[in-house]
Amino acid sequence: MPSHPSRRDLFRLAGAAAAVPVLASCAGAPTTQSAAPGTFTVYWNAGHDYQAYRKVIAEFEQANKVKVNLQKYQWPDLRTRLLADFASGTVPDLVEEPGGWVQEFAISGNARSLQDYVDRDGEAMGFPSDWQPVTVERNSYQGKVYGVQLHLTCNTLLYNQAMLRDAGVAVPTTWEEFLDAAKKLTGDGVHGVALNQDYTYLWPWMVQAGVTPYDPETGKVMTPIADAVAALQFQADLVHKHKVAPVPVSGTDYSGPQKLFSAGRAAMILTGPWDLEPIRKTSPDIDLGVAPPLKHKVAATQAAGVSMFVPAKAARPDLSWDFIKRVTALDVERAATKETGMLMPRVSWAELPEVRSDAALKVFADALPDARDSSQQVRLTGKLGKWEEALKVMYQQVLIQNQPADETLRRFAASAESFLK
Amino acid sequence: MFRPRTLQGRYARTAYLFLLPAILFFAAFFYLPIGNVVATGFRTGPMADQWAGLDNYGQALSDPAVRHSFLVTAGFAVMVVAGSIVIGLALAMAIDQPLRGRVLFRVLLLVPYLTSVAIVGLLWRNILDPELGVLNRVLGAMGLPGQTWLNTAPLLTIAAVTLWQSVGYTMVLFLAGLQGIPETYHEAAKIDGADAWRRFWRITLPLLAPTTLFVSVMAVISGLQAFGQAYIITGGGPGDATDLSVFHIFNVAFRTRDFGYSSAQSVLLLIVIVAFTLVQLRAGRRGEVTY
Amino acid sequence: MRRPLLYTLLGLACLVTVLPLLYMVSLSLQTEAETLAADAVLWPDAPQWGNYAELFARAPFGDFIVNSLVVAGCITLAHLLFDPLVGYVFAKFRFPLRNTLFVALLATLMVPFFVRMIPLYVLMANLGWLDTYQGLITPFLMDAFGIFLMRQFIQPIPDDLISAARIDGASELRIYRSVILPQTRPALAVLGLFTFVFQWNEFLWPLVATSTPEMRTIPVGLTLFNQEYFTLWHLTAAGSVILFVPTAVLFVLTQRYFVRGIALTGLK
Repeated sequence: MPSHPSRRDLFRLAGAAAAVPVLASCAGAPTTQSAAPGTFTVYWNAGHDYQAYRKVIAEFEQANKVKVNLQKYQWPDLRTRLLADFASGTVPDLVEEPGGWVQEFAISGNARSLQDYVDRDGEAMGFPSDWQPVTVERNSYQGKVYGVQLHLTCNTLLYNQAMLRDAGVAVPTTWEEFLDAAKKLTGDGVHGVALNQDYTYLWPWMVQAGVTPYDPETGKVMTPIADAVAALQFQADLVHKHKVAPVPVSGTDYSGPQKLFSAGRAAMILTGPWDLEPIRKTSPDIDLGVAPPLKHKVAATQAAGVSMFVPAKAARPDLSWDFIKRVTALDVERAATKETGMLMPRVSWAELPEVRSDAALKVFADALPDARDSSQQVRLTGKLGKWEEALKVMYQQVLIQNQPADETLRRFAASAESFLK
Repeated sequence: MFRPRTLQGRYARTAYLFLLPAILFFAAFFYLPIGNVVATGFRTGPMADQWAGLDNYGQALSDPAVRHSFLVTAGFAVMVVAGSIVIGLALAMAIDQPLRGRVLFRVLLLVPYLTSVAIVGLLWRNILDPELGVLNRVLGAMGLPGQTWLNTAPLLTIAAVTLWQSVGYTMVLFLAGLQGIPETYHEAAKIDGADAWRRFWRITLPLLAPTTLFVSVMAVISGLQAFGQAYIITGGGPGDATDLSVFHIFNVAFRTRDFGYSSAQSVLLLIVIVAFTLVQLRAGRRGEVTY
Repeated sequence: MRRPLLYTLLGLACLVTVLPLLYMVSLSLQTEAETLAADAVLWPDAPQWGNYAELFARAPFGDFIVNSLVVAGCITLAHLLFDPLVGYVFAKFRFPLRNTLFVALLATLMVPFFVRMIPLYVLMANLGWLDTYQGLITPFLMDAFGIFLMRQFIQPIPDDLISAARIDGASELRIYRSVILPQTRPALAVLGLFTFVFQWNEFLWPLVATSTPEMRTIPVGLTLFNQEYFTLWHLTAAGSVILFVPTAVLFVLTQRYFVRGIALTGLK
């Protein structure tokens, strides 16, 4: 069979393929990212590419005569990339992080202390005086500031006003009222409430029950444990005993309850402001109500939200700090809120007239002072990863697999106490 | 230059000459990094810069989470390896018949393999969602009860999704192997009066041995290294029901940032996979036939 | 024989493989609200072709496609060049340490890629190859999968063919090119297709080895359409369809080689 031409072609092509890397490498050694003189590299969450920040970037480029390379990632991908960067020593100039990484990287020596800049510019920019106290504490290590909070969020109660009205249910304020409402709202393809498969949604319940996640003094985990068990069992009972919530499905995102709410299949969800936009966008007909966090023993909720930090090996920390200052200015916060409804960490933001006059924003803003960071004490031990892994397993075993909260939580506590000390 | 005197020596020299680029390439991009991984297994700390001796190995061997993830992985691999060989071979033999539209069948059956594990994962996560997924909508329309497979049989479910994607690929490999079996063998056997079942065991299977060996070795290797299914679909849950080894190791490395511990676990996993592969190769060598 | 049964079973199998992918196409044509509807939408009333345009408007999707084609294409050609040669050596030559080298080669398949990733990243950073094509291509020029595959397919070729060529005085490289390679067409088609598909869908390395949006490949570029807390399903599905088309086309083009079997080319 005369198959020679095609075979020769194959060889030629393959030869060309082998030549590509060689040729390309002759084309000139490209520069590593931080060393590139005219480029300022920022790692950013793909969901936070706001117009308000684009404007700041344009001004920053103009003022400092640099080009900003805004690299957008999902959080797990951003972390993978960043850890590879730390290993190689080629780091970006500034990193946005999802909360918790600042202290972790301060401990490991990968984050730069910003205390010198805070000492110099703090008063003029209102840091830390104008930031909610929890946001300063969670970004400090050994008395020094390593990161600056960009957004501050917290969990509250979102509800479908029409459903509550039709069922003649008042907006619940306590756990008991919540259970009662959920029972009345359940039926006809609608769940009274939808719970999240993600373990971080455990924390509002725990802090409302007055539970301390970890006490470094005594080395005890989840104290008082009886209250922790009761809080956990309460959630599992919503699903398995009272059947007012669907069994969550384990996964990798947090959007399950929001989707059910948007679809009109859940009357209430306990979540943060990140779910407002998708609900309003995909289901504009839903009469969305926002209520303060539930109260139990304590008026409290879980704090969350992103911060920024500067890698220790970043070449131009002056520029990085300038970026931080610009992007956290009150006007920028105001513009970002107007654009996306995101909540901001400045105390003066919570007092802005447009925040006070917005029904949803006002509720969140009022809850922020009661927001706690539940993993801070664990983070400072450097064992947060292991803790989160064990917590996730325990939470899903109870909430999804209906294992008894008492036994499962105590087993988790015993194991955590041994690896945290 | 060295000139081998024997014929055998000359072949050996040719062989090494042909192998030279490969040896250099694998040294630079595989053995050097793998050596680095082995070295990291003896260190600890977030930058893996403190000496730890055998601590990581000792810890891995006594860690119930590590043991659990190995068991989960073994269960997953058994389902996927058995499934892909049996179903893949069955489909290949079906399609090897002179059927109308066999080209279409061949194309349609391989189609899922052409897209990425991540997309397949996202797609099935969406389809299987008990509340909003399209599968329960369809089941409901047919009057059937809805499924909650991701909660009731999570490991089986992700194994099934994996098979859904990869069985076309084993089918193609078996098909290429079947094409290589000369028709004369079957003809001769038919004349001898052997029925289809006999011909399958006596001719097809033995002559397919190199392909079967390849498929089973690769299936074991990839089954034991499955990752994307847990990373995308279940997040390792519910609880730790789908905490596949490599997913576990990934989390130890990139979430917990304990590269020393994750490297030690990778080395242990490597040892397990090498052992399995050696056994298979040995068994395969016995099964190989020459014309 | 039992033809109807065979057709039915194969038909059912094809439905199982194809329907979920059709649903992906359906998702890519829905509005965002439809992707989140209480009752999943099987097929949208008004297909939103604009979703595809939106992809290109939101990100340099054209660049992603070019990058993916260059990277996966170059790697595939390199595999077609190298893997059969090495596979041939392991299949047909006897030389010291052959089995040891072969097991050492297979062992490279047994370390998950991410475990090697950080040392590889450091190497590429030192070479200054991050964010370049050679950085994306070089680490994947060969792999044990392709070599193993070729070895298995070359093994059944009768040794007599090789000996005869040697007696005729053909050089070793010539034997490989004129005797061995023509026999391996179906295997080369399989190798080329699988290598391309694998590299085309590769995620982790392009994620860490690129730094500018213009260098990203499609799978990495697709992550841009996820928000912090939720996925834009319609856009993700549209991107997935785009990702899927070239591999499907390549498959349809190559699949006929799988059947034109070894038997045709004179192996008896």
